[in-house]
Amino acid sequence: MRRRAILAYLLDSPGVLQKVSMLIRKKMYNVDTLTVCKSRKPGISRMTITLREDDEARVRQVIHQLEKFTEVISAKELDTEHSYWREAAIIKLEIDGAQLDALRGDYNFEILEHKNHDTHIIHIAGSTRRIDAFIAQLGEEHIVEISRTGVAALEK
Amino acid sequence: MTGKELLLRALEKRGVRHIFGYTGGAIMPVFDSIDKLGVFKFVMSRHEQGATFMAQGVSRASLSTDDPQVGVCMATSGPGAMNLTTGIADAQMDSVPLIAVTGQVATGVIATDAFQESDVVGVMMPICKQTYMPLEADEIEKTVHEAFYVATTGRPGPVVLDIPKDIQNQKVSKDYQFSLENFRPNLPGFFYHPTPAREPLKQAIELINRCERPVIFCGHGVIGSNAGKLLQSFAEKTRIPVAFTLHGLSAMPADHPLSLGMMGMHGTVEANRAISEADLLISFGMRFDDRVTGKLNEYAKNADVIHVEIDPSEIDKNVATTVAINADAYRTLHVLVGDPMLTAKPRRRWHARIEEFRRVMAADLREEIEGGLGVDGKLLMKTIVSQLSEMTQGRDIVVPDVGQHQMMAARFYNYQTPNSWFASGGAGTMGASLPMAIGVKLVRPDERVWSISGDGGFQMNMQELGTVMEHKIDLKIMIFNNGYLGMVRQWQTLFFDGRYAGTPMLSPDYGLIASAYGIPYRKIETLDQIAPAIQEAIELEGAIILEFVCDPSEVILPMIPAGGGFDDMIVKRPQPRKEGGKR
Ligand SMILES: Cc1ncc(C[n+]2csc(CCOP(=O)(O)OP(=O)(O)O)c2C)c(N)n1
Ligand SMILES: [Mg+2]
Repeated sequence: MRRRAILAYLLDSPGVLQKVSMLIRKKMYNVDTLTVCKSRKPGISRMTITLREDDEARVRQVIHQLEKFTEVISAKELDTEHSYWREAAIIKLEIDGAQLDALRGDYNFEILEHKNHDTHIIHIAGSTRRIDAFIAQLGEEHIVEISRTGVAALEK
Repeated sequence: MTGKELLLRALEKRGVRHIFGYTGGAIMPVFDSIDKLGVFKFVMSRHEQGATFMAQGVSRASLSTDDPQVGVCMATSGPGAMNLTTGIADAQMDSVPLIAVTGQVATGVIATDAFQESDVVGVMMPICKQTYMPLEADEIEKTVHEAFYVATTGRPGPVVLDIPKDIQNQKVSKDYQFSLENFRPNLPGFFYHPTPAREPLKQAIELINRCERPVIFCGHGVIGSNAGKLLQSFAEKTRIPVAFTLHGLSAMPADHPLSLGMMGMHGTVEANRAISEADLLISFGMRFDDRVTGKLNEYAKNADVIHVEIDPSEIDKNVATTVAINADAYRTLHVLVGDPMLTAKPRRRWHARIEEFRRVMAADLREEIEGGLGVDGKLLMKTIVSQLSEMTQGRDIVVPDVGQHQMMAARFYNYQTPNSWFASGGAGTMGASLPMAIGVKLVRPDERVWSISGDGGFQMNMQELGTVMEHKIDLKIMIFNNGYLGMVRQWQTLFFDGRYAGTPMLSPDYGLIASAYGIPYRKIETLDQIAPAIQEAIELEGAIILEFVCDPSEVILPMIPAGGGFDDMIVKRPQPRKEGGKR
């Protein structure tokens, strides 16, 4: 199913996150990712939700019902053509230093810490697909722990 | 001033006159202040659910009067608040403005599982329009005014205020000031568009002028915006027939030549067939719910749809629109009716076709109503409602419960008074009638109010007879006793091979119940007893209970089976099957 990103601006007040997630549950979606941060306006947060849906009408429904909440100032869909979607990951790896270095050519990541000769903590940012590809090339078996932020999106 | 006093000051400013509720530890301070203040009529329900429906009755019935009021109910924390949920969810489904105030445990012990603590905001959030929990006395007045604004603006709905006990008692700060004149709710995310945009309106008029087989839909939004008269002018001007949703009933006279009656699952043949053959649906203030549309992919396949609706999230939700007008029904009709581009057409062929539809069941129904008795010699609900309608000239207020009797009351009472029909529709909450009728009577004291319940629904909230007794509420209470949960039984007859699982039911002796509450009572078992009993109820000042012994095998037809399309409409009674059930 197609991945959709919905961008919403909402009041930074208690319970709003609960309302949004309750609506998404009620519509029987599983949230793919959900990120919230402050916006440029004080008191207003910016939320990016991704979920999977092929039916345009159903996505519009979710957006309309989000807009119905008095706390939601605006909501709209961001499509991949007209917006950037990015996420970041922090990964603890057990891997030979040389092997990690070999990936440098293809991927842009930062080594935050060498814990010992074969344990490293790195940081990588990029599109979801890019991070997936990095992990695939690295090999899942090298990952001790991974933390991904979920999608942040911005219109072009 | 303390929080509780500010709460009451704000309620008073908002024109609240009645407070329905039930006390307890966490709301006692507010109740104490109500008593001291002495400006509200306090009505104690016998169960908190009753208070919610009484408050709904106030909101629903007063909106067409000179003094529209928002119903207010109050309960204590924990179990008190939880008992409000059904009535609040019901108000949300039916877009009824309502303010529910609950006491909460003190802020110091919130989230410690304190005695009678429940997460009221968490529970109510998905079943109401907005929730608030003020955490300082200084916030209360502003919060209450915002709550009223949200409850009544745009598509109305219930709002819950959960106020911790210590905040009720807290003194406001020294420099506290509040002026309602300067108050603007801070709701940057709350938009509503009462005025129709010019462009879609133009397109709508073009469609209306061009169409051959149009039907106007009258929904709750027409009642809610007091637009019945305008809708009628619009219909008369364009010669377009009108079908009603359950909540649109009574917006214009039921026997108007252009009226098709109710649409949907238990709607009339003429309404449903006209919708199937229509080339244009012009709908005002409704949401195309499944009881209205049946199977969506077969619904009004050849029709363009003009949808006038205040809530934008309802547009295109179930039925795709050709022209969407996100606006208030009254304002839209006002512009439409006055628009010089709108043309009248006689539409003779369409009206002739509709006459054919009207004839499909007319003879059968007339025969049934005149016969008045079922196979076992007991009374038919249709006959009782028809007689009530005749004897009151269709001018009284009807508050049905939920079930077969509700559909009979919707179909066979000849509504003449605008806004005279109040029913739990979207939620279909059994037990709503008696408490709702109490609220209705309090704000429409000069009109006669009939509460019509089944034996099932009546037993769900009959404790509210205590409220009727205490406040001497002049209600005409009808119980249509068919010994069954009739509506479910009807489904069992039609779709479960006549196996009556969980639907036969014993009733108490309603005569003894009535006398326990000091309310006069009549039992009506034969046709010739109907008119005198109704006459007695009409003449009597004060409450009376009329119990009608009804035929359990009566069915309300036509019926479109749940999930079926309009072509699946059942218009003929199936052959009686062998009786199942315990009795
Ligand atoms: C609170 C609640 N519980 C269950 C139902 C399901 N239900 C709908 S109609 C009905 C039967 C109502 O029986 P009664 O009140 O005797 O009315 P009748 O249909 O016999 O006229 C039932 C059980 C409901 N609508 N509301
Ligand atoms: Mg019954």
